[in-house]
Amino acid sequence: MARKLTDYQSDVWVDWCPGCGNFGILASMYRALSELDLKPEETIIVSGIGCSGKTPHFIKVNGVHTLHGRAIPFAMGIKLANPKLTVIINSGDGDLLGIGAGHFVALGRRNIDLTIILHDNTVYGLTKGQASPTLKRKLKPKALPKPNIQDAVNPIALALASGYTFIARGYSMMVDHLKELIKKSIQHKGAALVDVLQPCVTYDNIHTIEYYKKRVYKLEDSDWNPIVDKPEEREEKIIKAWIKSQEYDEKIPIGVFYQDPYIDSFEERINERINTYLENPPAKQKIEQNGKPIINNETFRKIFNQYIIKIE
Amino acid sequence: MKELSLIIGGPQGAGLETSAQILTYSLAYSGYGIISDREYFSNIKGRHSYIHSLVSSKRIPSSLTYPVQLIAALDHETIFTHFNSLEDGGVMIYDVLTEDKTLDDTPSMEESLKNKLRSEFKLLGIDGSIKSLIKYIKNIKKVETIPLNYFEIINEVSKKIALPASQAARYVSSIVIGAIAGLMNIKKKYIEYSLTRRFSDKPELIQHNKTIINMVYNKIIEKYGYKLELEQSKLKYRELMIVSGNDVVAMGKIVGGLRYQSYYPITPAADESFTIESYEKLKVNDKDIGSIIVIQTEDEIAAITSAIGATLTGVRASTSTSGPGFSLMVEGLGWAGMNEAPIVITYYQRGGPSTGLPTRGSQGDLLFSLYASHGEFPRIVLASGDHLEAFYDTIEAFNLAEKYQTPVIHLLDKFLANSIVTLNVPNLSSTTIERGALIEKVSGEYKRFDLSKPISLRAVLGATIMWYTGDEHNELGHINEDSENREKMYRKRLEKLKIANEEIPEERRVSYYGSEDDEILLVGWGFTKGVVMDTLNILNDKGIKAGYLHIRMFSPFPSKFVKEMLNKFEENNIIAIEHNYLAQAAEIIHINTGIKIKKNVIKYNGRPIYLNELVEAILRILEGEDRVVLKYGP
Repeated sequence: MARKLTDYQSDVWVDWCPGCGNFGILASMYRALSELDLKPEETIIVSGIGCSGKTPHFIKVNGVHTLHGRAIPFAMGIKLANPKLTVIINSGDGDLLGIGAGHFVALGRRNIDLTIILHDNTVYGLTKGQASPTLKRKLKPKALPKPNIQDAVNPIALALASGYTFIARGYSMMVDHLKELIKKSIQHKGAALVDVLQPCVTYDNIHTIEYYKKRVYKLEDSDWNPIVDKPEEREEKIIKAWIKSQEYDEKIPIGVFYQDPYIDSFEERINERINTYLENPPAKQKIEQNGKPIINNETFRKIFNQYIIKIE
Repeated sequence: MKELSLIIGGPQGAGLETSAQILTYSLAYSGYGIISDREYFSNIKGRHSYIHSLVSSKRIPSSLTYPVQLIAALDHETIFTHFNSLEDGGVMIYDVLTEDKTLDDTPSMEESLKNKLRSEFKLLGIDGSIKSLIKYIKNIKKVETIPLNYFEIINEVSKKIALPASQAARYVSSIVIGAIAGLMNIKKKYIEYSLTRRFSDKPELIQHNKTIINMVYNKIIEKYGYKLELEQSKLKYRELMIVSGNDVVAMGKIVGGLRYQSYYPITPAADESFTIESYEKLKVNDKDIGSIIVIQTEDEIAAITSAIGATLTGVRASTSTSGPGFSLMVEGLGWAGMNEAPIVITYYQRGGPSTGLPTRGSQGDLLFSLYASHGEFPRIVLASGDHLEAFYDTIEAFNLAEKYQTPVIHLLDKFLANSIVTLNVPNLSSTTIERGALIEKVSGEYKRFDLSKPISLRAVLGATIMWYTGDEHNELGHINEDSENREKMYRKRLEKLKIANEEIPEERRVSYYGSEDDEILLVGWGFTKGVVMDTLNILNDKGIKAGYLHIRMFSPFPSKFVKEMLNKFEENNIIAIEHNYLAQAAEIIHINTGIKIKKNVIKYNGRPIYLNELVEAILRILEGEDRVVLKYGP
């Protein structure tokens, strides 16, 4: 019997501010998980710090709420030790693009089969409204004493430059649309980013629902084709997606920007070297027999022969 | 001769390490025991580096002496740097063509050392050239100097093996091997065996090296004979391992069931990960017995956090680092402590603070490893004293991590990491793999942090549903700030250390080497063990009854045993021996037992403690000094 949406809801009270854009992300997560009928015990939500960091507690699958900026490496360790698990990162812009920017780039280089749902609200909510890396220069949300003096990073462009093979943007107030993006990102084999525009109703008086309502439009309503249909098209598609990613101000596109199914995932690259990896990953291996190491005196000598000098 | 100590010096990148390997293999094959330390600058090519070894016909040595009996110089800087490292009556092998070189011709040498030498030379009447230095050591220090013309030898060989002289120059280190092998009368077939082992996939290298070595060997014995021949070895072994500290830890991890290792490159830890990676596919007789993921991460933070992630799926995971890397890992350490994640951190100490002396040794991070990270949480800290301890401790680190569901820090140091020793093959028959409260299947609701037991059942991601958070949590793993819950969880975590303290035998955590009637107590930890053990014998020969208290675990600390031992000795007869300024282990002993050790012998110049300087220092302490700072080593 397929799992229901409510099967993915935990008993924990959701303590985000009333009206928070995160509610839309959470609703989309419940729907995506249930429509994909993911096994809760084999699904892991990993988060960092901040309002977004609490997301795993609200979902009834495994939750790993980690350190500021470190959701990606935690998720990497989980996924590589057991590639049979579905591992989804839910974390914020400050978390993934500020303190965790190095990990964000490294994930693209590796193309590990991980999904990032980026809660993008341009501020640090839980520490009371400081500027996040996605806040544009000269803007002054109400908590800032002076206008922002730093430029914004563009998550879509950064993901393109880093090597992500699935890159999309959603809007938390368009739950059905976002749910479809999340489903696609989970189903994609490789590093996937869904940058989710998410109004912070408490600290961001600029990027409000009104603000987005005027600007957001769906890529799929135009003749946009994000998919690399054959490897030779890659360069052209990257350039097009890059140009599209610069449309960032007066009109804001949402939908899939780029998808490349032809780059080997990291798990496949490991499997090239260790050809039993995918069928028998580390988490499935036995390391002992009756409390003894599986490497005994005899096998030790065989394995480490090159270190041993035998004298006749 | 029963023992020979020697230094081979030359520019970094000139083949020193290969020479040391060939010699070590040949000598081990001849039945001798060897220890070799490598000292080098943080540099790839050109700075001075050297191999310092002790070869013995009567024992497997565990420390080095200084000065030495033989110096072989690949370049003139070695002669300048080490002429004082040579005993009176010793032997110096050098390139006769370097005789015209002066200190001013040595840009790779640090100016401070040059200045020190300049004033020393002035006093000794040396004009600053190699020629006058050689004359001095020959006449005054009665050193047998063995001048060889490296250029001529290379030319001669290049004709013989039809190789351009420029390429043949790469084999200059073989000249030195040939000379040493001749003087020591190492059988040529053993050298050949070592070359074959070293260059198994490059037959032409074996041939070229062999030609040079044999040629020099013959020249040397013709003129000097077997001047440094050791007695027939009394060691009766049939097999030995030749391993560095990095190697044995890698082996321990593989035997101990490691399945995920992540690292960010750092000296002196990185070689360990390379070794593990070369065994990523574990195969015996074509049968797969496992595989290990080794991943070079983008930084140390990703190294530790990804390894923690891996432990949550039930695999044994670790990371290896040194001080600057551990500094970054501290946030991950705290998360692991809070979440009872069994991560193993292999920590090779080097000279700090900051990047300090990246390639030199130290034991300066004991206090840091014990107290790193904010808040309070349990951790197990063990420290290995020698290669064999390092092997077994590595396996035990995983057992303890899983049994007590807590981070384990395994402390080692650069001296151990980079020293190569002959070692008996470890016996695994009593080695265990203990996985603690790990469970494969779960029925009903699962509470990862169940408070009904001091140590909760550990299910893994993939088996059921659970939560983890760095915030304080309830039994399910959800955030919880309730004061009563906080107190229970906090206590539960910290009381695991009390349980570990009750369960881990103190004899396992501290060893006493000595006898009932000892009057002097030396106290140490880590790699000072080797040199202290050798010191005991020498003191004993001098009629001084001394024993050694070797601490192998600092958390939980074996307070009872240590207190009892310390109480047996007179206050002025207890001496701490450490590779740091503060005598950090003595501080920990004070905290745990209330007993303050008042005497110490310390060294913090980045070089290992040598046997003879330690013996002298202890004699000085016994004559009334409180603290001796050791300074040997160029």
